[in-house]
Amino acid sequence: MLAFGDFGSALYMMDFLRLIEQSSFSQWVTGSSSVFAFPSILLLHTIGMGVVVGISAGIDLRILGLAPALPLAPMEKFFPLLWIGFGVNAVTGTILLAADATTKLTNADFYVKMGFIALALINQRLLRTRVFGEPLVDKKPLTSDVKLLAVTSMIFWLGAITAGRLMAYLGPVSGLAK
Amino acid sequence: MNLAHVHLLLNHFPTIGFGIALGLFLVALIGKNEHLKRAGLVLFFLIAALGIPTYQSGSAALETLCPANQCPPGVSMVTIRAHEDAALYGFALMELTGFVAWLGIWQFRLLSRAPRWNVVAVLLLSILTFAVMARAANVGGGIRHPEIEAAPQAPITTGEPVRGFARGIGQFVTGHTWVWPSCETLHFVGLSMLFTVVLLVDLRILGMAKKLSFAGLYQLLPLGMLGFGMNLVTGMFFFLGAPEQYTKNPVFYWKMVFVVLGAVNVLYFMLLDEPWTVGAETDAPLTAKLVAASAIVVWVGVLFFGHMLPFLGNAF
Repeated sequence: MLAFGDFGSALYMMDFLRLIEQSSFSQWVTGSSSVFAFPSILLLHTIGMGVVVGISAGIDLRILGLAPALPLAPMEKFFPLLWIGFGVNAVTGTILLAADATTKLTNADFYVKMGFIALALINQRLLRTRVFGEPLVDKKPLTSDVKLLAVTSMIFWLGAITAGRLMAYLGPVSGLAK
Repeated sequence: MNLAHVHLLLNHFPTIGFGIALGLFLVALIGKNEHLKRAGLVLFFLIAALGIPTYQSGSAALETLCPANQCPPGVSMVTIRAHEDAALYGFALMELTGFVAWLGIWQFRLLSRAPRWNVVAVLLLSILTFAVMARAANVGGGIRHPEIEAAPQAPITTGEPVRGFARGIGQFVTGHTWVWPSCETLHFVGLSMLFTVVLLVDLRILGMAKKLSFAGLYQLLPLGMLGFGMNLVTGMFFFLGAPEQYTKNPVFYWKMVFVVLGAVNVLYFMLLDEPWTVGAETDAPLTAKLVAASAIVVWVGVLFFGHMLPFLGNAF
């Protein structure tokens, strides 16, 4: 369990998480019967996933040889949308986490998911400079390290999706209002 | 009108409709007419798409006819289960036929003729599908028309235990804790694959990343179809595991309506010449933009209704 300042005890940490969870906003997210509360926030999180992973996978698969007639360089134009999707998921993810802090932050699977997302982001940066920082990218064959990065990118996103989905099944599972 | 009526209406497509498609395809093969061959492939694909709600409406009809497994006098649960199993075999073959036919339509555009491997594969699959589906229809007819069951080759006469193939899969899904979460994970992966294609193709048509030509994007389409196929398989596992969660859920009907709309939508990009006018740096024609925008609405709609099954609907 994480230590927290001078109080440093797991018990204090749990109190802190409970405090977040019991804030009126968190209570609204999980307790409201409104379709705009939990259902819509989770819906945005899923759409955001489709945008982020969809665009990333498109670029990765193109690097690996799918759709060879598609030039790679112009695909950079999809990055702003990818980051909008990522932003939506960072915000909705934080809300979902706050609404359910005691179960999610004590679930090892949540940290696995965060680990995969961190790796995917680092991978994304490396890939972007190597592919889109190269003006002759569509003139020369792609190097094997770029291809390796495309493979690892897909592995990390697959890992994030899997860990995210399994949060509803593994470890402490919340009793969110249905 | 209730859900049993919906099944009685839809169930003519996979049987009579598929028979007409097969006839058309055979005429095209004998007459060596490439465009007629493509028309046959398109019909196979569309009927396979309509086969999805047809199969599902059958489970709804069962619950309407025999609520809580209590059938009215003269209706045999054994016959219903036999029909369900025969229909599931036929459905699986029909979806495979539709998938292979779709690949043929996709390649037709690049070759300007139906690819030979595809014609052979679709012919064999469609004959097999038609035979299995005809049997399903025959057994299904016996549910309300015992007079046709009295025929010498009536398939169901014994009182074997009511389990079978479809229920067996259902019990496999609900009987193992790992199956549902695994299918859900794959369903999300398939969703992302579909989104790759929907976003890149349709946003380009709408004007994003204009240096991409439609010819390049067209090569991506099978990835989306593969994602859809994964989601059809995993989705059917959910459906067979807990059918009443879907058959009694109006949100699910909307999801299936949108899936069929999605199947029609993709044909625009495969059959019409208009999107092919979109080269590097060219602006797409207005119709192409409208179809591209509708594709995004349709597939986000499928995701929306799927997501809302437990919230607006009554799943789980």
